[in-house]
Amino acid sequence: MTPLALLFTLASIGISETVYLIKKRITAQSPICPIGGGCEVVLTSKYSKFFLVPNDVLGLLAYITIAFIASLLVVGVGPAKFFDSALEILVAMASIASVIFTYLQWRVLKNWCFWCLMSAFTIWFMEIIILFNKTV
Amino acid sequence: MRKSAYNVLRVGTAITFLWIGILIFREPNAWGGFVNPWVLKIVPLSVYQIVITTAIFNIILGALLLLDTLVWLAALFGAMHMITILLVSGINEITVRDIAILSATLALFLESIPPGSIALWCRKEVKHIFKPPTP
Repeated sequence: MTPLALLFTLASIGISETVYLIKKRITAQSPICPIGGGCEVVLTSKYSKFFLVPNDVLGLLAYITIAFIASLLVVGVGPAKFFDSALEILVAMASIASVIFTYLQWRVLKNWCFWCLMSAFTIWFMEIIILFNKTV
Repeated sequence: MRKSAYNVLRVGTAITFLWIGILIFREPNAWGGFVNPWVLKIVPLSVYQIVITTAIFNIILGALLLLDTLVWLAALFGAMHMITILLVSGINEITVRDIAILSATLALFLESIPPGSIALWCRKEVKHIFKPPTP
C-alpha cells in the first residue's frame, strides 16, 4: 500500500500546484516564481497549450486521474489489473511529456519555470516509485 | 503566517483528510471499532453508516482544502470534526495525534477567515489572548 500512498500524496501535491496555476491564469496574475524567474515567459509561451488546451488543465486532469486510480486500488474496488496498467501508462506518458517540456525550457525558451519543474519532478518521482515497485 | 507555510499546512492537512477517508472506505468495519457504544445510543445510525458518513465527510473536507476553496469553512468543520472524534473515541495512543490535526485545522481557519466576517473577531480575540506580556 505504501507505493499507492506515495502516488496519491504526490498526485495531491500536483493537484494543488496546477489549481494554483489555473487560478493565477484565470485571474491574469503572475504566479510567484521563487527559483528561475522565468515562469511568465514559460507559462505564456506558445508551448503552454496542447491543441488549445492549457497544459495546467491537462496536468490537473492527469493528477486527478492518478489520485483517483490510486485510491480505487487502495480501497480494492474494480478491475485491479486494468487500473494498475492504466496507472503505469498514464504516469509513463506524463513522464515523457515532462521530459519534452523540460527540454523546451532548457533549449528553446532558455527560461526555467519553478512550477513546471516541480510538476516534472513530481511525475518523475511517481515513475521511479512505479518502476521500483515493479522490480522489488 | 507566511504564505508558503500556510500552503504547506493546507496541502498537508488536505492529504491527511483525503487519505483517512480512503482508508476508512478500505476497511469500514475496522474503523467502526473506534466508535464508542454510547455514541450509538444517541445517534440514530448504524456503526457502518457512521463510519461511511465520516469517510465521505473527510474526503469533502480534504478536497476543499486541496483545491483552496472555502478553506475557512473546511478548516472550521475539520476542527469541529476532530473535536467530535476526540470526544467520541477519547484520547488514546492513536487519537492523541488528532490533537495535531485539530491544531492544524484551527490554524488554517484563523489564517483564512474572510475579511470583514464575524469570525474575524475570533482571530482578534485569540491574538489578544496570546499577546506576549508587555514589560
